[in-house]
This record gives sequence, C-alpha cells and structure tokens, in this order.
Amino acid sequence: MKKCGVMSVIFLAAILLAGCWDQRELGEITVVTGMAVDKGENDKYILTVEGINATELNNRTASGFAPSIVYSAEGNSLAELTYRVNEGMSRHLIYSHMRTLIIGEELAKEGIIDFIDFLERNREIRDDFNILIARGAKGSDVLKVTYQFQKSTSLKLHTQLDTMMKDWGGDPGVRMNDVITAWTAPGRQPVMAAVRIKGDPEAGASAENMMKVTPDALVVLDSLAIFKGDKLEGFLTLEDSRNYLWIQNKINKTSITVKCNESQYMGLRVYDTRTKVKGKLENGKAKIDIKIRAEAYIDGTHCNDQFDKAKTYEENGEIAQKQINDMVGKTIEKVQQEYGTDIFGFGEVVLRQDYQNFKKVQNNWDEKFADADIQVDTALIIRRTGIRTKSFLKEVK
Amino acid sequence: MLIYLTTMIDTKLLKETILQSISGKEDGFNLTTEDDLKSLCKEKFGGAGYQLVGSFDEIITSLLYGNIIILFKDMEKALSLSMAIGEDRSITEPSTQTVIRGPKDGFVESITTNVSLLRRRIKNRNLRFEKFIIGSETNTSVYIGYMEGTANEKIVGEVRKRLGQIKVNAIFESGNIEELIADKSATPFPLALNSERPDAVASNLLEGKIAILVDGTPFVLVVPAVLVDFFSIAEDYYQNFMMGSFLRIIRYLSFMIALITPSLYVGILTFHHELLPTPLLLGIIAQREGVPFPAVIEVILMEVTFEILREAGVRMPRAVGQTVSIVGALVIGQAAAEAGIISNIMVIIVAITAIANFVSPTYSFGAAARLLRFLLIIVSAILGLYGVLIVLVFIVAHLSSLRSFGIPYLSPVAPFIIEQQKDVFFRFPIWSMRKRPAYLKTQNPEKFPKTGSPSPPPMKGEQSN
Repeated sequence: MKKCGVMSVIFLAAILLAGCWDQRELGEITVVTGMAVDKGENDKYILTVEGINATELNNRTASGFAPSIVYSAEGNSLAELTYRVNEGMSRHLIYSHMRTLIIGEELAKEGIIDFIDFLERNREIRDDFNILIARGAKGSDVLKVTYQFQKSTSLKLHTQLDTMMKDWGGDPGVRMNDVITAWTAPGRQPVMAAVRIKGDPEAGASAENMMKVTPDALVVLDSLAIFKGDKLEGFLTLEDSRNYLWIQNKINKTSITVKCNESQYMGLRVYDTRTKVKGKLENGKAKIDIKIRAEAYIDGTHCNDQFDKAKTYEENGEIAQKQINDMVGKTIEKVQQEYGTDIFGFGEVVLRQDYQNFKKVQNNWDEKFADADIQVDTALIIRRTGIRTKSFLKEVK
Repeated sequence: MLIYLTTMIDTKLLKETILQSISGKEDGFNLTTEDDLKSLCKEKFGGAGYQLVGSFDEIITSLLYGNIIILFKDMEKALSLSMAIGEDRSITEPSTQTVIRGPKDGFVESITTNVSLLRRRIKNRNLRFEKFIIGSETNTSVYIGYMEGTANEKIVGEVRKRLGQIKVNAIFESGNIEELIADKSATPFPLALNSERPDAVASNLLEGKIAILVDGTPFVLVVPAVLVDFFSIAEDYYQNFMMGSFLRIIRYLSFMIALITPSLYVGILTFHHELLPTPLLLGIIAQREGVPFPAVIEVILMEVTFEILREAGVRMPRAVGQTVSIVGALVIGQAAAEAGIISNIMVIIVAITAIANFVSPTYSFGAAARLLRFLLIIVSAILGLYGVLIVLVFIVAHLSSLRSFGIPYLSPVAPFIIEQQKDVFFRFPIWSMRKRPAYLKTQNPEKFPKTGSPSPPPMKGEQSN
C-alpha cells in the first residue's frame, strides 16, 4: 500500500508539475518557413517573417489566394521581434519549420554576428536552415515573391538549393551551423549563397505571379557571397561557387564543358569525384596541394571523335583535366588577389597537418593565404560515352 | 426402483440398455449381498460408468450429473449409472482463433469431448488429467491437464492449491477461474492464456504448461502465461519459419500501433510540430482548418465512437449486423470528415488503430491495448510525448512486476534468457528449437536430441558427414 502511494505520488508529480505550457493546437498556429533580416531605418533590424497559409499549399483545399503572409517589424533584437510580429499576425508563429534565412545585402555588409546568437540559442529554431544573402535587394522583398510549385519563396529556395547542389553544385550548401563553424574555427571564413530577384519585386509579390508562364519576378540563385569575419566582402560567380564546392569535396555530380576543338565543345558529366587537400608552411610561405580525382561520362560532343579506342578517352580526359586545373586555379587566384580571405578552409588543413608552424601565423593567416602557393592537380577518367560509342556526326553528308 | 431426472438423461439409451437387460429377466435377480451386486454390475454393465452409492447425498449428486439410480430391495447400496444426455454442439472450427493452415477443430462445451480432443493429439501415458468440482452451487467439473515428468511439479501443485481454494458459488466460464486464480487482478493484461484450439493447447502442454478445462465452455486456460505467448500462435509453426517470424514481428508492431498511435497523433499535433516533415505538417494543418475541436477531443470522440460501433457489432442480432457496418462506415468515415467535425487524417488514425488491434491473436490481450490507449491519449494531451513516454515506462514497470504462477510475465525477455530468444521475436526452424522454456523449470528441459538442418543426400564422390 505504501509502495502504491509512493508510485502514485511520483506519477502525479510527473504529470501535474510538468504542465502543458507549450501546447499549441494546430488551429492556433501559423508555420513560419522563411525569415528575412534587413537593416532597420530607425532601429537596428527589420525582421520579416513568412507565415504559410497551409490551406493554399494543399492542392485539394487551395482556392488561388496568396500562399503565405509576409509581415515585417522593426526593433533592436530579433528575440523580441519574433513575438512582436504578432502585432500584425493573428496566430502563434512556430519557427521550428523555418527553412530559409535571408539577409539583406546592406545589413550583411555591416556585420551579422549579433543576431545569429539568437538563432542558435532559440529552442524552436533549427540550426540547419539555409542562410542566404539577398544581392541588390532587401531580404523582405525576396520573401514576398511567389512561385508556381512550392508557392512560397522560402520553400522554393530550400528545394531549389538542394536540387542545384545535387545536380550541378552552384549552392555552397551552407547551413547556419556551417557559418558558425567557419567563424569559430581558425583558418576559415564563411561563405553563403546569394540570391537576387529577376524581374519586378512589386509584381512578384502577388498570387498572379504564380499563374504566369514567365513570372513577373523570380528569385534566382545568383552567386557566392564571401565574408571576412561577419562582414560581407563581395560576390563570386556561380561557376566559382561550383569550384568552391569542388575544393571542399562536396560535389555530388556536376557537368563541365570542355573545349575539344576550335569553337567546338564537349559536355562531360562528372559523377564521382573526390578532393584531397594537403597543406604546409615552408619558410613562412603556405604550400597547398589540391588533388582532384574525378570520373565522368561524355554527355554530348560537337567534335566527331570516335570513342571506340582507349586512346580517344585518354586524350579527351587530358583536355578536361587541364581545364579543371585552370578553372579551379583561377577561382582560388581570384579570391587570393581580390579578397584575401580564406573561404576554402586551407588554414584548417594546415592547422591539422602542420600545427606547429600554423600556430605562429594563425593570427595573420589570411595574409599568408593571399600569397600562398597553390597547386591544383586533377586526374579525370572518362568511363563511358552515354548510350552511343560512335557519333552520327561523322556520317552526316 | 429406478430413479432419474428425465431432462438430464438420454432416455433412448435408457430404454435400449437398462430396461431391456433388467426387465427381460422374469425370475428377477437373486441378490443378497453387495458382492452379488458387484458381480452383476460387472456382468451387465462392464465397461459402462457405474458406481455404487450409499448415502442420500451421493444419490442426489449422481442424479444431478445425469446418472440413473437403481435401488434394490433389501440392499444398502444403490447402483448409479452414467447416462448423461449426449447432445452437444458438434466439433466445429473455432470462431475466435482461426487459421489458414492448420487443424480446423475447436473445443466444444462438453468437457469430455475436450479431454478426448487433447488425448487424441497427445498419445502419451504421461498426459494426466485431474478432476476438480468447483462452485458450491453449480458443482462445475474442472480438469487440469499436464504432462507428468515434464511439467514443473511445483507449478502443478500451485495450480491444484489455487483451484482448491476457490470458494465461489458459480463457475460458468474459464474466465471466472482465470480471475480467481490469477496472481493479480488489478491489471489489464491477462495472466492466463486462453485458447479454443486443441492443437495450441496440446503444444503448450508439451512445453510443460498446464491446461485448465472447464465444463461448459470451449475456452481452455493455459498457465503459466508470459507476455510473449500472446504474440505467438500455432500457425507460426505450421508455415515457413521466415513467414512465421515476419508475421510475429507484424503482431508486435500492431500491438504498438494499437496502443500508441492515437496518443502520438495528439502529442505531435499539440506539442511537437517540429517532428513532422514540413509538407506533412502543412497538409495536416490544411485538413484541420475549420475543425472545431482540439486534437484530443477529436481523438477521444472518434475512439469512443469506434468502441461503441465495435460493441454494437458484437451484440447486434445477426440479422441486423449489416446495418452496423454500413452506419459505422458512415459515422467514422467520410461523412464525419465532410461535416467538418473531424479531419481526414483522424479517420486514418482510427482505422489503423482498430485494424491493428484486431491482429492480437488472443482477444483478451487486445483488451489491454484498448484500455491503455485511452490513458495514453489523456496523458499525451497534457504532457505530449513526454507523457506518452512516462506512461510507457509505467506500463513496462507494471509488466515486469507481474507474475503468472510465479513466472515473471516478461520472461524470457526480462529476465533475459538467450536460448529462448529463438522463439520470441523470431521463430527459428523447428529443428533448432530443442529446449523447453527455461523459465518454466521443467523436469525434462530437452524436447528432442540434437539434429541438424535437413539436407539432401551427398552427391556422388562427395564425403557424407
């Protein structure tokens, strides 16, 4: 009997003391899938949230209204603003499904580290959402643009970036925790994907935009934003973004165009690639050795090479190798010369492989990076030629 | 003088045997001593169930069991002859525990038929039955059956003791016995296995368990029962061991589905939105738009509705049974969802819960999931998945505190017995399951000598092992 009493006390305590403080019925919530932070006019920030109108996202219940509601509030801390936005929105906002954070270019140039702490600390917000820079636009405008399939920009961008990264590699695949790692790790600077609005942002912010074959406005993946510390330094092209991923060994699949003759090109689909980076300091100068190993198949060719001899494969492979060396090398050179900020994490490599020497230069690593001696060495093997060996081009009369 | 109860005896048999054999004699019997009577009985009724009774009480009891009493002039003892009415339900397929492959006979209400069904399956001199008369007013016959030399004597002794201690006036069903001999009655889990299938009971007897047969019911109890017994059925052993294992895992899974699905629904929808993939969450929100009730009310409403339908389906006269299914499908189906009282996903939840519940091979075990489900729903509405977890922990604690005739209810999982794992979540091939359950502490732990897997004869030139 006594045991029974103790048990029921434990049971009741577990139930009654825990309570239902975070209970939210589905009818009382709005799911936030995207968030944008811009520089405020009076206060520090303008926070914009995109609350999903779930009924519109469901094919059976949709009736053609706007798929989401975007609302902005201005203030000095995001922590407060995330609740203050209820001044304009009726339901509880839940942030656990946030997929995309867009930072306005203006704010990014001034530095973003202050509010990231909130995003990392908050118990609802995940730490693996995409973090993007709105190039030449306000983050809030990007959130407002509608799209045919996922309808809301934040969901669209999330899917788009994923697809892009898997198929070609234009998105650096940077989530918030990557940015934080880059900030805290010695010898690495963060990067983020940058998007811009193609078309008229005003017209894009309507449900009609979804109904057009060529939407009035479209959010496109533009470039790679590179940072020095928490400040935006500049942008690299999408091509560079792919090369960046290649150096990071994060390429899943990509396609490259190789010049096989004068004004004739060959498309190669690279489907299996690995990158190894070695680094050390020699007489105070950094030496970085990048080895790329790739396998590819021919996806189309203008030149009428006949792929029935092993030699043809080797020759074409060599041309491609040179081009990759060149391409990747140029990206690194551009970063070294124009920005001098080590977004590739070579510092990390040296830290691991040549710790004693790295310790000495840790504080001015970016300078060492700028005049580092970097070698790119690619080994590309062409394995297949699609479903044709010989091209019909040769038989055309 | 002949005394009998017309309603209890087979009058035709009486006419054919007794009246002919007795009244045929014109000169009467020359009986003077008891020995004369005995020899007469040997001669006339050799093989039939006869008994000499002396007291008035004995005569009355015999009459009530369907015997006829023959009183002789100048004799102290009367002759009691068994002539009970033989009209019973014939042996049919069990209505509750059906199989696809396996014997189709089931126990019936007559205890003698039931004993013979078991005897026909186990032709072994060690199979013993002991008779008890239980119920001060009903005087119901109860048999216990066990394999002597296999079953643990202490457990058999305990069964005898507990049956002997029963002091109720009436026993109508083995469920009465089950409740009276269980180690604990404050539990939703059954502590004795019941079966309508002679093959299942026979195989349990050979494992070293004890069967309790009650006159007047086709449900035979098997003790001691452990939790895993309620997930295995005879058919597991009649089909390929892979299929048997697969189905067994499905049964465990179904039990969990029946137990926790509605509470997970409530918990996730009211507390843990982050656990759902975004598209699914948005889909559910879109469906629930306009549903006036909180998730917990919705769930309780639907679960109670379903329980009502289920009860109605069982009690309904067969002729109107159709109506229940039609109305039921309407109530918990499309109509309710279209009226906006519940969401579509709720229909799916109720349906999967209900169907998973029916998978339970023993009906009384499914009841545990049915009851605990409501507790889980309510706690989940207050505490979310944290609450579900608390209740599950309490259920496991409760299960491990249960005993069935002294055997831990969770064995062989807790206490863990590695040898027995061959027949818990998976069913291993029969040739590899040589041991009887170790937790029963049987007198003869091995079922058969070690054999290997069957294999084809060696090829020409190959060495045979």
